[in-house]
Amino acid sequence: MRPVLVRREAPVRGGQPLAFAVGLLVALLFGSVLLLVAGDSPMEVYRRMLSASFGDMEAFSVTLNRAIPLALAGLAVAIAATMGLWNIGAEGQILFGATTAAGIAQIGEGWSGPVLIIAMIVGASIGGAVWALGPAAAKAYVGVNEIITTLMLNEIAIRLVRYLINGPWKDPEGFGFVQAPALPGQSLLPDLFQRTHIGLLIAIGVLAVVGLMVSRSSWGYELRVAGSSGATATYAGISLKRKILTVLVLAGAVAGLAGGIELTGNATRLTETISNYYGYSGIIVAALALMRPSGVAAVAVLFGAVQVGGQSIKAIGVSDAVSTVLQALILFGVIAAGVLIVYRVELAEAAARGARSERRVRSR
Amino acid sequence: MILGLTFPETALIGLLFAAIQFGAMIYLASLGEVVAERAGVLNLGVEGMMSMGAIGGFVFAIETGSPWLGLIAAAVIGGLVALVHGLFAVVLGANQVVSGLALTIFGVGLSNFWGTDYEGVRPEVQFVDVDWGPLSDVAWIGRIFFQQSPLAYLAVVLGLVTWFVLNRTRGGLALRAAGESAATADAAGHSVVGLRLFAVVVGGAFAGIGGAYLSLSISPGWTVGVVAGRGWIAVALVIFGAWKVRRVAVGAFLFGLAMALPNRTESFDLPWDPILWSMLPYVLTIAVMIAGALVLRNRPPAAPAALGLPFRREER
Repeated sequence: MRPVLVRREAPVRGGQPLAFAVGLLVALLFGSVLLLVAGDSPMEVYRRMLSASFGDMEAFSVTLNRAIPLALAGLAVAIAATMGLWNIGAEGQILFGATTAAGIAQIGEGWSGPVLIIAMIVGASIGGAVWALGPAAAKAYVGVNEIITTLMLNEIAIRLVRYLINGPWKDPEGFGFVQAPALPGQSLLPDLFQRTHIGLLIAIGVLAVVGLMVSRSSWGYELRVAGSSGATATYAGISLKRKILTVLVLAGAVAGLAGGIELTGNATRLTETISNYYGYSGIIVAALALMRPSGVAAVAVLFGAVQVGGQSIKAIGVSDAVSTVLQALILFGVIAAGVLIVYRVELAEAAARGARSERRVRSR
Repeated sequence: MILGLTFPETALIGLLFAAIQFGAMIYLASLGEVVAERAGVLNLGVEGMMSMGAIGGFVFAIETGSPWLGLIAAAVIGGLVALVHGLFAVVLGANQVVSGLALTIFGVGLSNFWGTDYEGVRPEVQFVDVDWGPLSDVAWIGRIFFQQSPLAYLAVVLGLVTWFVLNRTRGGLALRAAGESAATADAAGHSVVGLRLFAVVVGGAFAGIGGAYLSLSISPGWTVGVVAGRGWIAVALVIFGAWKVRRVAVGAFLFGLAMALPNRTESFDLPWDPILWSMLPYVLTIAVMIAGALVLRNRPPAAPAALGLPFRREER
């Protein structure tokens, strides 16, 4: 007797939400085991995480703030995935976007608030796009695997920021601290309500526009055709090279925007940690949203909650790495549940194995 | 002074020593990835498996007082973490890229969680460099080749064994068949799922050993982010080495050199900030990938034909 996967006649109804719920539950269960092993009380940890992220309006506004970069990073992965490309470089694009914005802040110290903020955010998008341009061109014209190139650029971006902070951009008024100079006061993004800043509106707008572009425009249609079959796309006269180029650069711009919003919304100065692994979390967000821009927002709020919750448990002496582990576990749980919605597990008689060994004998 | 040239001799010896050290570490991880990918499974979780190997090896070495027990633990833990990918990518047939990325995030997160209490703990247990007697005293060569950590020699042995098994045994042939044409391997009576699971677990064990090389030998101890993207370099190295055990070894030395240089810029009187030099391995990876793609443009792809494709025998 051994378990085999057999395709169901039809997938389970209400499959994806169900898979999501089951996956979440399984993740929390595995997380509890982990916490118990480490000697912490899962109930206490989860209760704290929940109240820190959804407990009241203020907590929720912090969660929303956190969801903004997650949603944009997720979108940066999802756009590329529409065409079957993997943008693993959102992390670096966020960093370089924030770096560009910080550079603009140094030039425009005397500008008025709105002008400076707009310049920084637009500059951040351009920065992100530039950071994605290399891998995009290498993929489009030479066929270089974009997973590795975008990833390597993450490591390069973090070192670039480190170099700038230690050298050319070192704060002269830092009293020996190695840090970038503080951002000018007028570059702070205004609040929308409670702790949420207006970056939320920008993120919603970008999600809506890009989502519509992918699902409704002819550009998006061509993208999806190219994603499902390159040969079909070429036959239909779609330029694959230009598509790869525009899609990855757009993805970079979206991620760069996240960097700009983080810098103007939540930071007082450029730091190495400004991207805070949003780029990597964005991959999970996008995967859970099945690479659909529409789903990205919802998953981003959930992950914002997991991350804000993760921060809160440091107060009771539990590592915030728990939230990273939970994010990965949620994805694993949902993948497994997703497979089981299309397949069912059956116990096959040893007959299958017998048949195979029989065939092995015959083939010799 | 040699041939009228003055150059920092000790620095050069130190550089080559470190290049072999880093090269052997990255080679272990790449070798594991070669095994997995030759069986048809892309595992992007190397960074996570190495992180888990690094913390697991360190913890077990400290708790048992033996670096060797730590090493064994790192291999077992690496294999177990890889088994998660095997379960999802091979048994359930989930997307290998998604599952591998999730494994990296999972492994890095879990190792950070595990390592909270071990950060800054003094590495009282670590590997001692091997003393080959008179060989180790030979000028230049002795220091560069014969005073390495035992793990460097382990990397060489594992490389030879892996080459032999992959290319000279029936089992290796079956494993490669699973990576080139799973249906053919299945028809020949092999269990594709079994072969692939085995390859993934072996790959994880090797990556785990590579991680322990970091935490028990190169920079003993545990700090968050100790693997620092090297797992990803290991993945790139497999492409650079065209999925071949020997060519990957050459690449490993090259990347070892790139990883060793940034810490030694002052001894070589190099211009620029060392932080800029620390970008070298990553820049080199990109450059090598582009150069490789340009050279191989009109040749058939070197990658295993069934790489990344799930196999369900009921759906052939």
